[in-house]
Amino acid sequence: MAAVSQSFKTDLLGSIPSLRAFAVSLTQNADKADDLVQETLVKAWDKHESFQPGTNLKAWLFTILRNEFYSQMRKRGREVQDSDGIMTARLAVHPAQHGQLDLKDFRGALEQLPEDQREAIILIGASGFSYEEAAEICGCAVGTIKSRVSRARARLQEILKISGEDEYGPDAISAQVTGSNAA
Amino acid sequence: MRCVLGAARVLEIKGEMKDMTKDTSAGAAGRRRAVSGDPLGPNSEIGRKLKQYYDELVSDQVPDRFAQLLSQLEQADPARKKD
Repeated sequence: MAAVSQSFKTDLLGSIPSLRAFAVSLTQNADKADDLVQETLVKAWDKHESFQPGTNLKAWLFTILRNEFYSQMRKRGREVQDSDGIMTARLAVHPAQHGQLDLKDFRGALEQLPEDQREAIILIGASGFSYEEAAEICGCAVGTIKSRVSRARARLQEILKISGEDEYGPDAISAQVTGSNAA
Repeated sequence: MRCVLGAARVLEIKGEMKDMTKDTSAGAAGRRRAVSGDPLGPNSEIGRKLKQYYDELVSDQVPDRFAQLLSQLEQADPARKKD
């Protein structure tokens, strides 16, 4: 087995911020996310020979991290998410006013998505992967990613009471505020 | 830490990683296509919030434990040249 090159090590180091962001997005828990990143780095190190230099290291690492996440979930019988009672976001979320959504509300809404939809919308909408890359990372068809992203987006809009793209007007929304959040 | 990695899982991952490394050239095309009419683009409130949420996570300071971990892995690497 060949020694791990310095450039591989440097690239791994450079990938850590993205890996942590993806891990938090998946686990919704900072401590679990960092454990997941640690496992990912160890695995990547052990398997460095199967990485082809010049290909997308970030996608390769995200794949490892994602596999590790789901294998832990299976092992722990799905108690991974929310085992610390962090999911507070079942509560009503304040609606978007004039398009200014609070980031905390957004986080709460994201938390309510099923994992497969959340990871899809994160990979496409935030991590900068193409649909093709995201499909490879998740081991599914491109069409599956597209439909997950679209469902995730619709669900977020629903939770956050965004009526539709480019329609941030307070009209229909304000009625809902006074109706449901009177207390 | 290494001992906790089951052989079966390592093999499973190895298989998937082979697939991953095949081709990433499709990525650029996908990204270009995404520019126009992108439902998660900068004109979308969800798209903007997603990026804000994620950028905040990415810019979080990385704990020292990760650099230490990589140094430990390097020290423990049996193939490392001793000089």
